[in-house]
Amino acid sequence: MRCDELRQPIVQLYLPIAEIPVNIFVIFGMGGAVGFLSGLFGIGGGFLLTPLLIFSGIPPAVSVATVTTQVVASSASAVISYWRRRAIDFKLAIMLLVGGVSGSTVGVMLFDLLQSLGQLDLVISLSYVTFLGTIGGLMLFESIRAIRRRKTGAKVTARRPGQHNWIHGLPFKMRFRQSKLYVSVIPILALGGIIGFLGTVLGIGGGFMMVPALIYLLRVPTSVVIGTSLFQILFTMSSATVLHAVSTQTVDIVLALTLMIGGVIGAQFGARMGQNLRGDQLRLLLALLVLAVGMRFAVDLLLTPEDLYSIAIVTGAGS
Amino acid sequence: MIRYLALAIAAFLAGLASAKAVHAEELVTAISSDLVSIRSNFTGTDIVIFGQVSRDVNSISRSGDYDLVIVVEGPPQEITTRRKGRFLGVWVNRYYETFENVPAFYALASTAKVSDLGSRELLDEYRIGLNHLNLAIARRSSVPLSERDDFRQAFLRLRQQQGLFSERPGAIEFLTSTMFRTNVPLPANIPVGTYKVKSFLLHQGSLLSKTEAKMHVAKTGFEQVTYNLAQKMPVAYGLLAVFFAIFTGWLASVIFKRD
Repeated sequence: MRCDELRQPIVQLYLPIAEIPVNIFVIFGMGGAVGFLSGLFGIGGGFLLTPLLIFSGIPPAVSVATVTTQVVASSASAVISYWRRRAIDFKLAIMLLVGGVSGSTVGVMLFDLLQSLGQLDLVISLSYVTFLGTIGGLMLFESIRAIRRRKTGAKVTARRPGQHNWIHGLPFKMRFRQSKLYVSVIPILALGGIIGFLGTVLGIGGGFMMVPALIYLLRVPTSVVIGTSLFQILFTMSSATVLHAVSTQTVDIVLALTLMIGGVIGAQFGARMGQNLRGDQLRLLLALLVLAVGMRFAVDLLLTPEDLYSIAIVTGAGS
Repeated sequence: MIRYLALAIAAFLAGLASAKAVHAEELVTAISSDLVSIRSNFTGTDIVIFGQVSRDVNSISRSGDYDLVIVVEGPPQEITTRRKGRFLGVWVNRYYETFENVPAFYALASTAKVSDLGSRELLDEYRIGLNHLNLAIARRSSVPLSERDDFRQAFLRLRQQQGLFSERPGAIEFLTSTMFRTNVPLPANIPVGTYKVKSFLLHQGSLLSKTEAKMHVAKTGFEQVTYNLAQKMPVAYGLLAVFFAIFTGWLASVIFKRD
Protein backbone atom coordinates (compact mmCIF):
# COMPACT_ATOMS: atom_id res chain seq x y z
CA MET A 1 0.00 0.00 0.00
CA ARG A 2 1.21 3.44 -0.87
CA CYS A 3 1.76 6.19 1.65
CA ASP A 4 -0.76 8.63 0.20
CA GLU A 5 -3.46 5.97 0.39
CA LEU A 6 -2.80 5.55 4.10
CA ARG A 7 -2.82 9.24 4.83
CA GLN A 8 -6.07 9.89 2.99
CA PRO A 9 -9.07 9.22 5.27
CA ILE A 10 -11.86 7.13 3.77
CA VAL A 11 -14.39 9.85 3.13
CA GLN A 12 -15.41 9.19 -0.44
CA LEU A 13 -17.47 6.09 -1.05
CA TYR A 14 -18.21 4.87 -4.55
CA LEU A 15 -21.86 3.88 -4.97
CA PRO A 16 -22.14 0.74 -7.11
CA ILE A 17 -25.58 1.53 -8.59
CA ALA A 18 -25.60 5.34 -8.69
CA GLU A 19 -22.05 5.04 -10.15
CA ILE A 20 -20.71 8.15 -8.47
CA PRO A 21 -18.58 8.66 -5.38
CA VAL A 22 -20.23 10.45 -2.46
CA ASN A 23 -18.94 11.85 0.79
CA ILE A 24 -19.95 9.18 3.28
CA PHE A 25 -20.28 11.65 6.17
CA VAL A 26 -22.56 13.94 4.21
CA ILE A 27 -24.89 11.04 3.39
CA PHE A 28 -24.69 9.73 6.94
CA GLY A 29 -25.47 13.23 8.22
CA MET A 30 -28.47 13.57 5.91
CA GLY A 31 -29.80 10.24 7.12
CA GLY A 32 -29.23 11.37 10.70
CA ALA A 33 -30.88 14.78 10.25
CA VAL A 34 -33.94 13.34 8.52
CA GLY A 35 -34.02 10.53 11.09
CA PHE A 36 -34.03 13.14 13.85
CA LEU A 37 -37.00 14.93 12.29
CA SER A 38 -38.81 11.66 11.68
CA GLY A 39 -38.34 10.66 15.32
CA LEU A 40 -39.45 14.12 16.42
CA PHE A 41 -42.61 14.22 14.35
CA GLY A 42 -43.36 10.51 14.06
CA ILE A 43 -43.12 10.52 10.27
CA GLY A 44 -41.15 8.38 7.84
CA GLY A 45 -39.22 11.32 6.47
CA GLY A 46 -39.12 10.05 2.88
CA PHE A 47 -40.55 13.31 1.58
CA LEU A 48 -37.55 15.14 3.05
CA LEU A 49 -34.88 12.61 2.22
CA THR A 50 -35.73 12.10 -1.47
CA PRO A 51 -35.46 15.82 -2.33
CA LEU A 52 -32.27 16.14 -0.27
CA LEU A 53 -30.66 13.32 -2.22
CA ILE A 54 -31.83 14.75 -5.54
CA PHE A 55 -30.53 18.23 -4.68
CA SER A 56 -27.18 16.73 -3.68
CA GLY A 57 -26.62 15.19 -7.10
CA ILE A 58 -27.84 11.59 -6.79
CA PRO A 59 -29.87 10.68 -9.91
CA PRO A 60 -33.62 11.11 -9.15
CA ALA A 61 -34.43 7.50 -10.08
CA VAL A 62 -31.80 6.15 -7.66
CA SER A 63 -32.92 8.59 -4.94
CA VAL A 64 -36.56 7.56 -5.12
CA ALA A 65 -35.89 3.82 -5.23
CA THR A 66 -33.29 3.91 -2.47
CA VAL A 67 -35.41 6.00 -0.12
CA THR A 68 -38.13 3.32 -0.28
CA THR A 69 -35.56 0.95 1.26
CA GLN A 70 -34.61 3.50 3.92
CA VAL A 71 -38.30 3.94 4.80
CA VAL A 72 -38.51 0.16 5.35
CA ALA A 73 -35.75 0.40 7.95
CA SER A 74 -37.18 3.39 9.80
CA SER A 75 -40.74 2.00 9.84
CA ALA A 76 -39.53 -1.48 10.88
CA SER A 77 -38.04 -0.22 14.13
CA ALA A 78 -41.21 1.77 14.93
CA VAL A 79 -43.56 -1.10 13.98
CA ILE A 80 -41.78 -3.38 16.46
CA SER A 81 -42.42 -0.98 19.34
CA TYR A 82 -46.10 -0.51 18.36
CA TRP A 83 -46.45 -4.28 18.04
CA ARG A 84 -45.22 -4.69 21.62
CA ARG A 85 -47.91 -2.24 22.72
CA ARG A 86 -50.54 -4.07 20.62
CA ALA A 87 -51.38 -0.82 18.87
CA ILE A 88 -51.81 -2.29 15.39
CA ASP A 89 -55.11 -3.27 13.75
CA PHE A 90 -53.82 -6.12 11.59
CA LYS A 91 -57.03 -6.70 9.69
CA LEU A 92 -57.27 -3.05 8.69
CA ALA A 93 -53.55 -2.98 7.86
CA ILE A 94 -53.86 -6.02 5.60
CA MET A 95 -56.78 -4.48 3.69
CA LEU A 96 -54.78 -1.27 3.25
CA LEU A 97 -51.85 -3.40 2.14
CA VAL A 98 -53.84 -5.15 -0.60
CA GLY A 99 -54.59 -1.71 -2.00
CA GLY A 100 -51.03 -0.57 -1.34
CA VAL A 101 -49.30 -3.37 -3.26
CA SER A 102 -51.55 -2.90 -6.29
CA GLY A 103 -50.95 0.83 -6.09
CA SER A 104 -47.19 0.44 -6.01
CA THR A 105 -47.25 -2.01 -8.95
CA VAL A 106 -49.00 0.64 -11.04
CA GLY A 107 -46.60 3.21 -9.60
CA VAL A 108 -43.51 1.30 -10.73
CA MET A 109 -44.97 0.94 -14.22
CA LEU A 110 -45.64 4.66 -14.43
CA PHE A 111 -42.20 5.42 -13.00
CA ASP A 112 -40.61 3.38 -15.78
CA LEU A 113 -42.72 5.04 -18.45
CA LEU A 114 -42.07 8.58 -17.18
CA GLN A 115 -38.37 7.93 -16.99
CA SER A 116 -38.27 6.89 -20.63
CA LEU A 117 -40.33 9.93 -21.62
CA GLY A 118 -38.03 12.27 -19.70
CA GLN A 119 -40.90 13.63 -17.61
CA LEU A 120 -40.09 11.85 -14.33
CA ASP A 121 -38.48 14.92 -12.75
CA LEU A 122 -41.44 17.08 -13.73
CA VAL A 123 -44.01 14.67 -12.28
CA ILE A 124 -41.99 14.30 -9.08
CA SER A 125 -41.74 18.10 -8.72
CA LEU A 126 -45.40 18.75 -9.54
CA SER A 127 -46.57 16.04 -7.16
CA TYR A 128 -44.38 17.36 -4.37
CA VAL A 129 -45.73 20.87 -4.88
CA THR A 130 -49.34 19.66 -4.93
CA PHE A 131 -49.23 17.20 -2.06
CA LEU A 132 -46.84 18.98 0.23
CA GLY A 133 -48.62 22.27 -0.44
CA THR A 134 -52.05 20.85 0.33
CA ILE A 135 -51.10 18.74 3.34
CA GLY A 136 -48.77 21.38 4.73
CA GLY A 137 -51.44 24.05 4.34
CA LEU A 138 -54.10 21.95 6.05
CA MET A 139 -51.76 21.04 8.89
CA LEU A 140 -50.69 24.64 9.37
CA PHE A 141 -54.31 25.78 9.51
CA GLU A 142 -55.29 23.02 11.91
CA SER A 143 -52.34 23.47 14.27
CA ILE A 144 -52.76 27.25 14.48
CA ARG A 145 -56.41 26.72 15.34
CA ALA A 146 -55.46 24.16 17.99
CA ILE A 147 -52.88 26.47 19.56
CA ARG A 148 -55.37 29.37 19.60
CA ARG A 149 -58.00 27.13 21.17
CA ARG A 150 -55.57 26.08 23.86
CA LYS A 151 -54.63 29.71 24.56
CA THR A 152 -58.24 30.94 24.79
CA GLY A 153 -59.19 27.84 26.77
CA ALA A 154 -61.99 26.78 24.43
CA LYS A 155 -63.19 23.19 24.71
CA VAL A 156 -61.84 20.81 22.07
CA THR A 157 -64.61 18.90 20.35
CA ALA A 158 -63.91 15.22 20.83
CA ARG A 159 -64.69 12.58 18.24
CA ARG A 160 -68.19 11.27 18.62
CA PRO A 161 -68.36 7.49 17.97
CA GLY A 162 -71.71 7.65 16.24
CA GLN A 163 -70.65 10.35 13.78
CA HIS A 164 -71.16 9.32 10.14
CA ASN A 165 -70.13 10.72 6.78
CA TRP A 166 -70.73 9.69 3.17
CA ILE A 167 -68.07 6.98 3.41
CA HIS A 168 -70.22 5.00 5.80
CA GLY A 169 -72.92 4.65 3.16
CA LEU A 170 -70.74 2.59 0.78
CA PRO A 171 -71.36 -1.15 0.24
CA PHE A 172 -69.09 -4.21 1.02
CA LYS A 173 -68.89 -3.47 4.70
CA MET A 174 -66.40 -5.22 6.93
CA ARG A 175 -65.97 -5.27 10.68
CA PHE A 176 -62.66 -4.22 12.24
CA ARG A 177 -62.82 -5.18 15.88
CA GLN A 178 -59.68 -3.54 17.16
CA SER A 179 -60.57 -0.20 15.57
CA LYS A 180 -64.24 -0.63 16.56
CA LEU A 181 -65.24 0.10 12.98
CA TYR A 182 -67.81 -1.26 10.56
CA VAL A 183 -67.05 0.30 7.19
CA SER A 184 -66.92 -0.46 3.48
CA VAL A 185 -63.65 -1.92 2.15
CA ILE A 186 -63.78 0.37 -0.92
CA PRO A 187 -62.34 3.51 0.76
CA ILE A 188 -59.75 1.37 2.55
CA LEU A 189 -58.52 -0.27 -0.64
CA ALA A 190 -58.58 3.07 -2.45
CA LEU A 191 -56.65 4.82 0.31
CA GLY A 192 -54.04 2.05 0.41
CA GLY A 193 -53.81 2.11 -3.38
CA ILE A 194 -53.36 5.86 -3.70
CA ILE A 195 -50.72 6.00 -1.00
CA GLY A 196 -48.88 2.94 -2.34
CA PHE A 197 -48.91 4.54 -5.79
CA LEU A 198 -47.65 7.92 -4.61
CA GLY A 199 -45.11 6.32 -2.33
CA THR A 200 -43.59 4.36 -5.17
CA VAL A 201 -43.52 7.24 -7.64
CA LEU A 202 -42.32 9.85 -5.16
CA GLY A 203 -40.15 7.75 -2.84
CA ILE A 204 -42.15 8.60 0.27
CA GLY A 205 -43.81 6.37 2.84
CA GLY A 206 -46.94 8.50 2.83
CA GLY A 207 -47.48 8.37 6.59
CA PHE A 208 -48.14 12.09 6.69
CA MET A 209 -51.08 11.52 4.31
CA MET A 210 -52.21 8.16 5.66
CA VAL A 211 -52.58 9.21 9.30
CA PRO A 212 -54.91 12.19 8.72
CA ALA A 213 -56.91 10.18 6.15
CA LEU A 214 -57.46 7.32 8.60
CA ILE A 215 -58.46 9.70 11.38
CA TYR A 216 -60.68 12.11 9.48
CA LEU A 217 -62.14 9.93 6.71
CA LEU A 218 -62.42 6.49 8.28
CA ARG A 219 -62.57 7.65 11.92
CA VAL A 220 -60.05 5.08 13.09
CA PRO A 221 -59.25 5.62 16.81
CA THR A 222 -55.98 7.54 17.27
CA SER A 223 -54.60 4.80 19.56
CA VAL A 224 -54.19 2.36 16.65
CA VAL A 225 -53.75 4.82 13.78
CA ILE A 226 -49.98 5.29 13.81
CA GLY A 227 -49.12 1.62 14.40
CA THR A 228 -51.48 0.48 11.65
CA SER A 229 -50.25 3.11 9.22
CA LEU A 230 -46.61 2.19 9.91
CA PHE A 231 -47.31 -1.52 9.50
CA GLN A 232 -48.93 -0.85 6.15
CA ILE A 233 -46.05 1.43 5.09
CA LEU A 234 -43.50 -1.20 6.08
CA PHE A 235 -44.99 -3.77 3.72
CA THR A 236 -45.88 -1.39 0.90
CA MET A 237 -42.36 0.03 0.87
CA SER A 238 -40.83 -3.46 1.07
CA SER A 239 -42.73 -4.47 -2.03
CA ALA A 240 -41.85 -1.14 -3.68
CA THR A 241 -38.16 -1.85 -3.04
CA VAL A 242 -38.38 -5.24 -4.72
CA LEU A 243 -40.43 -3.83 -7.62
CA HIS A 244 -37.93 -1.00 -8.15
CA ALA A 245 -35.05 -3.47 -7.98
CA VAL A 246 -36.70 -5.64 -10.64
CA SER A 247 -37.98 -3.03 -13.05
CA THR A 248 -35.39 -0.24 -12.96
CA GLN A 249 -32.41 -1.70 -11.02
CA THR A 250 -32.02 1.65 -9.26
CA VAL A 251 -31.94 0.55 -5.61
CA ASP A 252 -28.46 1.37 -4.30
CA ILE A 253 -27.87 -0.91 -1.35
CA VAL A 254 -24.72 0.93 -0.20
CA LEU A 255 -26.49 4.30 -0.23
CA ALA A 256 -29.50 2.76 1.52
CA LEU A 257 -27.41 1.23 4.32
CA THR A 258 -25.54 4.49 4.96
CA LEU A 259 -28.83 6.40 5.15
CA MET A 260 -30.47 3.77 7.37
CA ILE A 261 -27.73 3.73 9.96
CA GLY A 262 -27.73 7.53 10.16
CA GLY A 263 -31.51 7.51 10.18
CA VAL A 264 -32.15 5.07 13.02
CA ILE A 265 -29.64 6.83 15.25
CA GLY A 266 -31.08 10.28 14.48
CA ALA A 267 -34.60 9.00 15.09
CA GLN A 268 -33.77 8.05 18.69
CA PHE A 269 -32.64 11.58 19.54
CA GLY A 270 -35.60 13.07 17.71
CA ALA A 271 -38.08 10.89 19.59
CA ARG A 272 -36.60 11.91 22.92
CA MET A 273 -36.81 15.58 22.08
CA GLY A 274 -40.34 15.15 20.74
CA GLN A 275 -41.57 14.07 24.16
CA ASN A 276 -40.78 17.54 25.52
CA LEU A 277 -42.85 19.40 22.93
CA ARG A 278 -46.61 19.86 22.72
CA GLY A 279 -48.53 18.04 19.98
CA ASP A 280 -49.92 21.19 18.37
CA GLN A 281 -46.51 22.88 18.40
CA LEU A 282 -45.00 19.82 16.76
CA ARG A 283 -47.69 19.84 14.10
CA LEU A 284 -47.09 23.53 13.43
CA LEU A 285 -43.35 22.93 12.97
CA LEU A 286 -44.01 19.92 10.75
CA ALA A 287 -46.49 21.94 8.67
CA LEU A 288 -43.88 24.67 8.11
CA LEU A 289 -41.30 22.05 7.15
CA VAL A 290 -43.66 20.36 4.68
CA LEU A 291 -44.58 23.73 3.15
CA ALA A 292 -40.92 24.72 2.84
CA VAL A 293 -40.06 21.58 0.88
CA GLY A 294 -43.10 22.11 -1.34
CA MET A 295 -42.08 25.75 -1.97
CA ARG A 296 -38.57 24.70 -2.93
CA PHE A 297 -39.99 22.52 -5.70
CA ALA A 298 -42.42 25.24 -6.77
CA VAL A 299 -39.61 27.76 -7.11
CA ASP A 300 -37.65 25.34 -9.32
CA LEU A 301 -40.64 24.88 -11.58
CA LEU A 302 -41.45 28.57 -11.92
CA LEU A 303 -38.05 30.25 -12.15
CA THR A 304 -36.18 30.20 -15.43
CA PRO A 305 -33.72 27.31 -15.10
CA GLU A 306 -30.01 28.09 -15.26
CA ASP A 307 -29.58 25.53 -17.98
CA LEU A 308 -32.42 24.74 -20.34
CA TYR A 309 -30.73 21.62 -21.60
CA SER A 310 -30.26 18.27 -19.93
CA ILE A 311 -29.00 14.89 -21.09
CA ALA A 312 -29.99 11.34 -20.21
CA ILE A 313 -28.44 8.06 -21.27
CA VAL A 314 -30.89 5.82 -23.11
CA THR A 315 -28.83 2.70 -23.77
CA GLY A 316 -25.22 1.64 -23.52
CA ALA A 317 -22.71 1.98 -20.72
CA GLY A 318 -24.04 3.64 -17.61
CA SER A 319 -27.71 3.70 -18.62
CA MET B 1 2.10 4.59 -9.99
CA ILE B 2 5.86 3.90 -10.14
CA ARG B 3 5.16 0.20 -10.59
CA TYR B 4 2.75 0.88 -13.45
CA LEU B 5 5.23 3.22 -15.05
CA ALA B 6 7.96 0.60 -14.95
CA LEU B 7 5.61 -1.95 -16.47
CA ALA B 8 4.53 0.46 -19.13
CA ILE B 9 8.08 1.31 -20.08
CA ALA B 10 8.96 -2.38 -20.24
CA ALA B 11 5.97 -3.07 -22.45
CA PHE B 12 6.84 -0.08 -24.55
CA LEU B 13 10.43 -1.17 -25.10
CA ALA B 14 9.26 -4.66 -26.00
CA GLY B 15 6.90 -3.02 -28.49
CA LEU B 16 9.73 -1.01 -29.95
CA ALA B 17 11.87 -4.10 -30.45
CA SER B 18 9.14 -5.96 -32.31
CA ALA B 19 7.91 -3.00 -34.35
CA LYS B 20 8.33 -3.66 -38.03
CA ALA B 21 9.15 -0.82 -40.32
CA VAL B 22 6.26 -1.07 -42.76
CA HIS B 23 5.65 2.63 -43.05
CA ALA B 24 8.28 5.21 -43.19
CA GLU B 25 7.32 6.54 -39.76
CA GLU B 26 6.20 4.11 -37.14
CA LEU B 27 4.20 5.09 -34.08
CA VAL B 28 4.46 2.89 -31.02
CA THR B 29 2.39 3.50 -27.90
CA ALA B 30 1.79 1.89 -24.53
CA ILE B 31 -0.72 2.56 -21.73
CA SER B 32 0.25 2.61 -18.06
CA SER B 33 -2.58 0.23 -17.23
CA ASP B 34 -5.03 -1.52 -19.51
CA LEU B 35 -7.41 -2.26 -16.65
CA VAL B 36 -8.89 0.53 -14.56
CA SER B 37 -10.64 -1.05 -11.60
CA ILE B 38 -13.39 0.72 -9.73
CA ARG B 39 -13.42 -0.13 -6.05
CA SER B 40 -15.35 1.41 -3.19
CA ASN B 41 -12.68 4.11 -2.72
CA PHE B 42 -12.61 5.08 -6.40
CA THR B 43 -12.55 8.84 -6.95
CA GLY B 44 -11.10 8.93 -10.44
CA THR B 45 -7.59 8.18 -11.64
CA ASP B 46 -5.01 9.08 -14.27
CA ILE B 47 -3.69 6.91 -17.02
CA VAL B 48 -0.39 7.59 -18.71
CA ILE B 49 0.16 6.96 -22.40
CA PHE B 50 3.68 6.70 -23.78
CA GLY B 51 4.96 6.51 -27.25
CA GLN B 52 7.74 6.94 -29.67
CA VAL B 53 7.89 8.03 -33.25
CA SER B 54 10.49 5.84 -34.89
CA ARG B 55 12.04 6.68 -38.20
CA ASP B 56 14.09 4.40 -40.40
CA VAL B 57 16.28 4.74 -43.46
CA ASN B 58 13.23 4.92 -45.72
CA SER B 59 11.95 8.02 -44.00
CA ILE B 60 12.06 11.13 -46.07
CA SER B 61 13.38 14.04 -44.13
CA ARG B 62 10.47 16.31 -43.32
CA SER B 63 10.45 19.94 -42.50
CA GLY B 64 8.66 21.07 -39.39
CA ASP B 65 7.37 19.16 -36.43
CA TYR B 66 5.11 16.17 -36.22
CA ASP B 67 1.62 16.52 -34.82
CA LEU B 68 0.34 13.96 -32.40
CA VAL B 69 -3.18 13.21 -31.24
CA ILE B 70 -4.15 10.76 -28.52
CA VAL B 71 -7.82 9.96 -28.04
CA VAL B 72 -9.33 7.88 -25.26
CA GLU B 73 -12.82 6.88 -26.32
CA GLY B 74 -15.44 5.09 -24.20
CA PRO B 75 -18.05 2.53 -25.22
CA PRO B 76 -20.98 3.71 -27.38
CA GLN B 77 -24.15 5.08 -25.84
CA GLU B 78 -27.47 6.43 -26.98
CA ILE B 79 -28.15 9.75 -25.30
CA THR B 80 -31.21 11.98 -25.27
CA THR B 81 -30.71 15.72 -25.01
CA ARG B 82 -33.72 17.65 -23.80
CA ARG B 83 -34.58 21.32 -23.71
CA LYS B 84 -36.99 22.87 -21.28
CA GLY B 85 -39.67 25.24 -22.39
CA ARG B 86 -42.46 27.06 -20.61
CA PHE B 87 -45.76 25.23 -20.59
CA LEU B 88 -48.68 26.76 -18.68
CA GLY B 89 -46.21 28.85 -16.73
CA VAL B 90 -44.13 25.88 -15.62
CA TRP B 91 -40.73 24.85 -16.99
CA VAL B 92 -40.94 21.38 -18.51
CA ASN B 93 -38.86 19.26 -20.87
CA ARG B 94 -40.45 19.98 -24.24
CA TYR B 95 -38.01 19.27 -27.06
CA TYR B 96 -35.65 16.38 -27.33
CA GLU B 97 -33.21 14.78 -29.67
CA THR B 98 -31.52 11.40 -29.32
CA PHE B 99 -27.97 10.91 -30.50
CA GLU B 100 -26.91 7.36 -31.22
CA ASN B 101 -23.51 5.76 -31.08
CA VAL B 102 -21.85 8.56 -29.13
CA PRO B 103 -18.88 7.64 -26.95
CA ALA B 104 -19.55 7.47 -23.23
CA PHE B 105 -16.18 9.14 -22.71
CA TYR B 106 -13.96 11.15 -25.03
CA ALA B 107 -10.67 12.69 -24.01
CA LEU B 108 -8.37 14.16 -26.61
CA ALA B 109 -4.80 15.29 -26.07
CA SER B 110 -2.85 16.82 -28.93
CA THR B 111 0.23 18.85 -29.73
CA ALA B 112 -1.72 21.55 -31.57
CA LYS B 113 -5.19 23.00 -31.84
CA VAL B 114 -7.57 20.48 -33.40
CA SER B 115 -8.52 22.80 -36.25
CA ASP B 116 -4.82 23.13 -37.24
CA LEU B 117 -4.23 19.38 -37.39
CA GLY B 118 -5.73 18.56 -40.75
CA SER B 119 -8.62 18.88 -43.14
CA ARG B 120 -12.21 18.59 -42.00
CA GLU B 121 -12.60 15.33 -43.95
CA LEU B 122 -9.62 13.76 -42.21
CA LEU B 123 -10.77 14.86 -38.73
CA ASP B 124 -14.32 13.63 -39.42
CA GLU B 125 -13.09 10.29 -40.69
CA TYR B 126 -11.02 9.52 -37.62
CA ARG B 127 -13.32 11.31 -35.15
CA ILE B 128 -10.56 13.65 -34.04
CA GLY B 129 -11.96 16.53 -31.98
CA LEU B 130 -15.29 17.10 -30.25
CA ASN B 131 -16.70 18.92 -33.27
CA HIS B 132 -15.84 15.98 -35.48
CA LEU B 133 -17.73 13.32 -33.57
CA ASN B 134 -20.53 12.14 -35.75
CA LEU B 135 -23.58 12.93 -33.62
CA ALA B 136 -26.12 10.95 -35.62
CA ILE B 137 -29.76 11.49 -34.72
CA ALA B 138 -31.64 8.35 -33.80
CA ARG B 139 -35.27 7.69 -34.65
CA ARG B 140 -37.63 10.58 -34.27
CA SER B 141 -36.80 14.13 -33.33
CA SER B 142 -39.02 16.95 -32.21
CA VAL B 143 -36.49 19.62 -33.11
CA PRO B 144 -36.72 21.85 -36.18
CA LEU B 145 -33.70 21.61 -38.49
CA SER B 146 -32.57 25.16 -37.76
CA GLU B 147 -32.17 24.38 -34.05
CA ARG B 148 -30.37 21.06 -34.35
CA ASP B 149 -26.99 22.64 -33.96
CA ASP B 150 -28.08 24.16 -30.62
CA PHE B 151 -28.76 20.65 -29.36
CA ARG B 152 -25.38 19.37 -30.51
CA GLN B 153 -23.59 22.27 -28.86
CA ALA B 154 -25.60 21.84 -25.64
CA PHE B 155 -24.84 18.14 -25.63
CA LEU B 156 -21.09 18.71 -26.00
CA ARG B 157 -21.14 21.47 -23.37
CA LEU B 158 -22.97 19.30 -20.81
CA ARG B 159 -20.67 16.35 -21.38
CA GLN B 160 -17.67 18.62 -20.89
CA GLN B 161 -19.21 19.95 -17.67
CA GLN B 162 -19.54 16.38 -16.44
CA GLY B 163 -15.86 15.86 -17.21
CA LEU B 164 -16.65 13.08 -19.65
CA PHE B 165 -15.62 14.95 -22.80
CA SER B 166 -12.43 16.95 -23.07
CA GLU B 167 -10.10 18.42 -25.63
CA ARG B 168 -6.65 19.42 -24.41
CA PRO B 169 -4.34 20.87 -27.04
CA GLY B 170 -0.75 21.01 -25.88
CA ALA B 171 -1.20 18.25 -23.34
CA ILE B 172 1.31 15.92 -24.95
CA GLU B 173 4.78 16.29 -23.55
CA PHE B 174 7.87 15.37 -25.56
CA LEU B 175 10.53 13.72 -23.43
CA THR B 176 13.08 13.57 -26.26
CA SER B 177 12.65 14.62 -29.86
CA THR B 178 10.86 11.34 -30.60
CA MET B 179 9.53 10.09 -27.26
CA PHE B 180 6.35 11.51 -25.81
CA ARG B 181 3.91 10.99 -22.99
CA THR B 182 0.55 12.29 -21.84
CA ASN B 183 -1.66 11.97 -18.80
CA VAL B 184 -5.36 11.37 -19.29
CA PRO B 185 -7.44 12.03 -16.18
CA LEU B 186 -10.38 9.66 -15.79
CA PRO B 187 -13.07 11.27 -13.62
CA ALA B 188 -14.95 9.43 -10.86
CA ASN B 189 -18.11 9.17 -12.94
CA ILE B 190 -16.61 7.29 -15.90
CA PRO B 191 -18.88 4.56 -17.23
CA VAL B 192 -17.62 0.99 -17.23
CA GLY B 193 -16.81 -0.82 -20.45
CA THR B 194 -14.15 -1.30 -23.08
CA TYR B 195 -12.30 1.87 -24.07
CA LYS B 196 -10.20 2.55 -27.14
CA VAL B 197 -6.94 4.41 -26.91
CA LYS B 198 -6.12 5.77 -30.37
CA SER B 199 -2.98 7.60 -31.36
CA PHE B 200 -2.46 9.47 -34.59
CA LEU B 201 0.77 10.80 -36.06
CA LEU B 202 0.22 13.63 -38.50
CA HIS B 203 2.46 15.85 -40.50
CA GLN B 204 1.20 18.97 -42.19
CA GLY B 205 -2.32 17.72 -42.40
CA SER B 206 -1.68 14.17 -43.57
CA LEU B 207 -1.90 11.05 -41.51
CA LEU B 208 1.38 9.14 -41.31
CA SER B 209 0.62 6.42 -38.80
CA LYS B 210 -1.92 5.39 -36.18
CA THR B 211 -2.24 2.87 -33.40
CA GLU B 212 -5.18 1.59 -31.43
CA ALA B 213 -5.18 -0.20 -28.09
CA LYS B 214 -7.91 -1.42 -25.77
CA MET B 215 -8.41 -0.48 -22.15
CA HIS B 216 -11.01 -1.84 -19.74
CA VAL B 217 -12.82 0.07 -17.04
CA ALA B 218 -14.52 -2.36 -14.70
CA LYS B 219 -15.96 -2.52 -11.23
CA THR B 220 -14.08 -5.03 -9.11
CA GLY B 221 -14.63 -6.76 -5.82
CA PHE B 222 -17.64 -5.67 -3.80
CA GLU B 223 -18.78 -3.06 -6.35
CA GLN B 224 -18.83 -5.69 -9.08
CA VAL B 225 -20.66 -8.29 -6.99
CA THR B 226 -23.30 -5.75 -5.97
CA TYR B 227 -23.81 -4.43 -9.47
CA ASN B 228 -24.01 -7.91 -11.02
CA LEU B 229 -26.50 -9.04 -8.41
CA ALA B 230 -28.68 -5.99 -9.07
CA GLN B 231 -28.59 -6.63 -12.82
CA LYS B 232 -28.78 -10.41 -13.00
CA MET B 233 -30.79 -11.40 -9.94
CA PRO B 234 -32.94 -8.34 -9.27
CA VAL B 235 -35.51 -10.21 -7.15
CA ALA B 236 -32.83 -11.58 -4.82
CA TYR B 237 -31.20 -8.14 -4.71
CA GLY B 238 -34.49 -6.46 -3.82
CA LEU B 239 -35.24 -9.02 -1.10
CA LEU B 240 -31.73 -8.62 0.26
CA ALA B 241 -32.21 -4.85 0.45
CA VAL B 242 -35.50 -5.35 2.33
CA PHE B 243 -33.85 -7.86 4.65
CA PHE B 244 -31.02 -5.43 5.48
CA ALA B 245 -33.54 -2.67 6.09
CA ILE B 246 -35.69 -4.75 8.44
CA PHE B 247 -32.63 -6.07 10.21
CA THR B 248 -31.28 -2.53 10.74
CA GLY B 249 -34.68 -1.43 12.04
CA TRP B 250 -34.89 -4.41 14.38
CA LEU B 251 -31.35 -3.86 15.62
CA ALA B 252 -32.14 -0.22 16.36
CA SER B 253 -35.23 -1.18 18.33
CA VAL B 254 -33.16 -3.62 20.40
CA ILE B 255 -30.29 -1.21 21.03
CA PHE B 256 -32.47 1.79 21.86
CA LYS B 257 -35.25 0.00 23.69
CA ARG B 258 -37.50 2.76 25.00
CA ASP B 259 -40.51 1.39 26.79
